[in-house]
Amino acid sequence: MKRPNGTPKLHHFAVILSGAALLLAGALAAQPGQAQSGTSAPPAEKLKASAIQVERTNPPEDLVIPESFRVATYENVIREIDKTKKFQHIYRSGDQTAANEPNLVILRMVPSAYKAGSQKKREVTTVAGATSIKVTVQFTDKSGKVLLEKELEGKVRFFGENLRATYDLAKKVAKVVDDTF
Amino acid sequence: MKIARMQVKTTLAHLGVSVFLLSAPVVFSGQDKPAETMTVPDVQCVIGLEGIKPGATGTVSVRGGAIHFEQKDKKAEIAIPAIQDILLGNESRQEITGAGKVATMAIPYGGGRLLSLFSKKVEVMTVEFTDSNGGFHGAIFVFPPGHATEMKGILVAQGAKTTIHLPAPEEPKEQKEQKP
Repeated sequence: MKRPNGTPKLHHFAVILSGAALLLAGALAAQPGQAQSGTSAPPAEKLKASAIQVERTNPPEDLVIPESFRVATYENVIREIDKTKKFQHIYRSGDQTAANEPNLVILRMVPSAYKAGSQKKREVTTVAGATSIKVTVQFTDKSGKVLLEKELEGKVRFFGENLRATYDLAKKVAKVVDDTF
Repeated sequence: MKIARMQVKTTLAHLGVSVFLLSAPVVFSGQDKPAETMTVPDVQCVIGLEGIKPGATGTVSVRGGAIHFEQKDKKAEIAIPAIQDILLGNESRQEITGAGKVATMAIPYGGGRLLSLFSKKVEVMTVEFTDSNGGFHGAIFVFPPGHATEMKGILVAQGAKTTIHLPAPEEPKEQKEQKP
C-alpha cells in the first residue's frame, strides 16, 4: 500500500520547526546572561547617590597609555555621565569640596589593556588596525566599599580617530551609570 | 694724612655707586622684558575646555598669563599658574574628514580607501590643569606640526609646571595588546 506523499514532508517540517523554536528560545534565554558579563552581578535595586566623583584613570606601571588617551577617557566619562542627569553634582578628581558631600559615590577607572591601532590601517583595510582600551570600572562609597565593579572596553574599528575609542568607552560607562543609579 | 684718607674713602664711595649704577640695567633687565606671546590659528580642541564643543577648531594664543582658545564668539582660557603638566605627542590625521570622508566611500573600485593613505602629521598637546577647588581638568589640542613644542617652551618659561614622562608608543606602529 502506498503512503500518501504529504505525510513524511509534513513530519519533517514539524521537526525542523520545533528545532528552530528551541534554538530561538535558547538564544533568548542566553541574552540576559550575556548582559551580566561583569565581574559582579548587577544589584537588584538601583543605587542611590546625589553626587559622583570621577577619579583620574591610573594604569598599572607596566601598561603604557598615552596621556592624551587617559585625559580623553576622563573628560569623556565626565561629559557622558553628565548627560545621564543621574547626579546633582559631578566632582572632578582632587576637588576638595567633594568631602562635604554626604551622599557621594566615587568612580575609579583602572585600564587593564590597551591596543594603539592605526586609523590609516583601519580605513584602508577595514579589518586591521582597531584601537581598543579595556578598563575596570569601580564604584565605591566614601568609605571605600565597592558598590559595583565591571570591565568595559572602548573600541574604534572602522572609521574615526584613535581617541574615539575613549568616547566609545565613556558611552559604556554612562550606560552602566544609567542602569545602576 | 687725614685729608688723603678722606679722599680715598670718597673715591671708593663714588666708585661703588658707579659700579652699582652700571650693573643695574644688567641685573633688572629680566623684569623689563615683556612676557613672550604666541598665536596659532587652526588648532583643534579635541576635548576639555568649558563651553567649547569637542572637536572645535579655533585660534590658540598665549598672552596675559593664560592660554586662550577663541572660536568665533566662544572663548575659553587656562591660567598658566593652574597648569600642572604639559605633554606633547605626534600623530597622523587623515587629510579628508567629515562629510568629505563619507563622499569618498562612494568612489568605486576602492578609490575611497586609496584616499585614506593620504595623511598629515600633527602635534598633540595635552594640558593638565586644576580649577579653583583643586579639581583636575585635561584639555587636548591638535596643532599643525612645529607649533606645540614652541608653545610649551613659552608656557614653561612663564611658570607652567611640567614633568618628565615615559615616551608613549607612536600611533602608526601597532602595539601588541598589553595585559598586566
